[in-house]
Amino acid sequence: MNRKLGLMLTIVLSAVLAGCANKGATPPPLDDNAGAVPTKQVDANANNAYGTGLSAADLQSLDIFGDPRNERVVYFKYNSTAIDRRSQVILAAHARYLGQRSGARVSLEGHADERGTRDFNLALGERRANVVADVLTSKGAGSKNQTISYGEERPVDTSHTESAWQKNRRVEIKY
Amino acid sequence: MKIETLFFTAKHTLLNAASVILVSALMVSTSAVAQVEINIDGGVEQGTPIAIVPFKVADGVELEHQIHSIVANDLYSTGKFEPIPSEKFLTLPSKIEEVRAKDWRLINAQILVFGEIWSLGKDLFEVQFRMYDIARDRQVGKTKRIPNLRAKDLRAVAHVISDDVYTAFTGRGGAFRSSIAYVDREQKGPQRYRYKLMVADWDGFNAAEVYASKNPILSPDWSPDSQKLAFVNLTKKGPVVKVLDLASGRTEDIAKFKGVNTAPAWSPDGAQLAYSSSRHGSPDLFIYNTQTKEHTRVTTHYGIDTEPAWGPRGETLMFTSNRSRKPQIFRYSLLDESITRMTFEGDENANASYDSDGKNIVMVHDGGNIVLMNTESSEMQWLTKAKFDESPSFSPNGDMVLYMTEQGFEPTMVVASTDGRVRTRVQFVQGDVREPAWSPLKR
Repeated sequence: MNRKLGLMLTIVLSAVLAGCANKGATPPPLDDNAGAVPTKQVDANANNAYGTGLSAADLQSLDIFGDPRNERVVYFKYNSTAIDRRSQVILAAHARYLGQRSGARVSLEGHADERGTRDFNLALGERRANVVADVLTSKGAGSKNQTISYGEERPVDTSHTESAWQKNRRVEIKY
Repeated sequence: MKIETLFFTAKHTLLNAASVILVSALMVSTSAVAQVEINIDGGVEQGTPIAIVPFKVADGVELEHQIHSIVANDLYSTGKFEPIPSEKFLTLPSKIEEVRAKDWRLINAQILVFGEIWSLGKDLFEVQFRMYDIARDRQVGKTKRIPNLRAKDLRAVAHVISDDVYTAFTGRGGAFRSSIAYVDREQKGPQRYRYKLMVADWDGFNAAEVYASKNPILSPDWSPDSQKLAFVNLTKKGPVVKVLDLASGRTEDIAKFKGVNTAPAWSPDGAQLAYSSSRHGSPDLFIYNTQTKEHTRVTTHYGIDTEPAWGPRGETLMFTSNRSRKPQIFRYSLLDESITRMTFEGDENANASYDSDGKNIVMVHDGGNIVLMNTESSEMQWLTKAKFDESPSFSPNGDMVLYMTEQGFEPTMVVASTDGRVRTRVQFVQGDVREPAWSPLKR
């Protein structure tokens, strides 16, 4: 009974994973063979979802659902350029992918929230983009990274709230 | 009575010929803006009560610009004068023999300004005005006469009168013939904008577009001769420092190096332009020499150094840096290359600039208060305690500060008197504006 349930769960899980992997043309799946992976190997990958070395549950605890490479934006604390754990996982996923495609061109757009002065925020946005570029490179991306700062000039959310500011302090990864 | 004639020449006009042409189309719309001055937060103490009499005009002559109300707005904004509403006036003198001190003592006026506008032909006017000390019951200074005016000049004449009154009663130069620059963002569609660099009279009238871009414009800074504006324009490759010649409309790229080039600031002699650039990795200060065209690196710290501002004698560069973790104001000496931290109060201080004699600086404190600081005592004085105030700059005489605030989510440009008494909205500026900068005095 238990074994049967376990097998069913595994089948369902693999189907879900395959579904995820095939959904949407961009970005392409991390592992092109993901859909063809035999059931047994998915079991082994339970603690290596999408090649991250983490379980799906771990990813979810970081607010990452599905392939971390679907996340194209990393966020920052106020006045900070520090890369948090969530961003580490996301950038590592991008770096792994970019590492397999030498010469890829990546544009990193740094942004700040409206607090602080416009000139300072231009500098801060650039810092964030540069830090992301460094992380990608250190994790083996091997891409040509172009960084640009928009400072506080291009907010995602224009309201004066903490949640808006959180969304605006970001680097957008474009390739 | 001796009459001093002031010739109203091109030197006195607020805008040069090129911008006047640009302006004419805009004047219709801006003059429709409410004439009522909005007192954002009047102070408790009052300035000197002053009565500015509506200038006598010949019957049947309709004038667009009311000299007395322009003068009243000018003087009120300084915090040093309290114009008395003209409804309270018992008489409306235009000649010296019509002044009865008693009429003015009754309404507690201490200063009286009055005059006359003569219509001498088709669009030809002459203005005469006098100042009067009620307590002493006598005229102050000479009678001033300004000939050869067209109707559109009367606004500039009003600012001349304001400067005269201000100087006569405070002993300080007036700032009413100066200009402001700012950026006006016009929405052209979803996420599409036109950023317009604007120049206007200090009260926002006569606004003219002098440069435009679909990408953000920021940090305008006037050259000391008011002939040029340095500013930052974002491009696809990053922010570029440009200089615009107002007379010709030509722009020149000053710094378009890899990375962020921003925050230009003219030296007091106009020969150099300081700015921040990250071309060597982290944003450092540089000085561009307009004669040799050479760029000299000034700071080398791994932190962010930006927003340079020259001391009034050009021997120091004040700047914002996060070298102490959070942004604070530092001072670089061009004499001995030393760097001194200037601000210690508060989590953050940024975007500082000096007044004309270097005794005070104004800056953004803790992300949104406008604060003055005495450079000797380091004592701070809060001009505002709002959350999102930004971009402060001194009037050329140092008696007022221009800055941006928000009123009900609307960007609002405000002038505050440095004594903190009065804050008034810049009368004719409206729209999605930002980044105001006050010009030097016109020479």
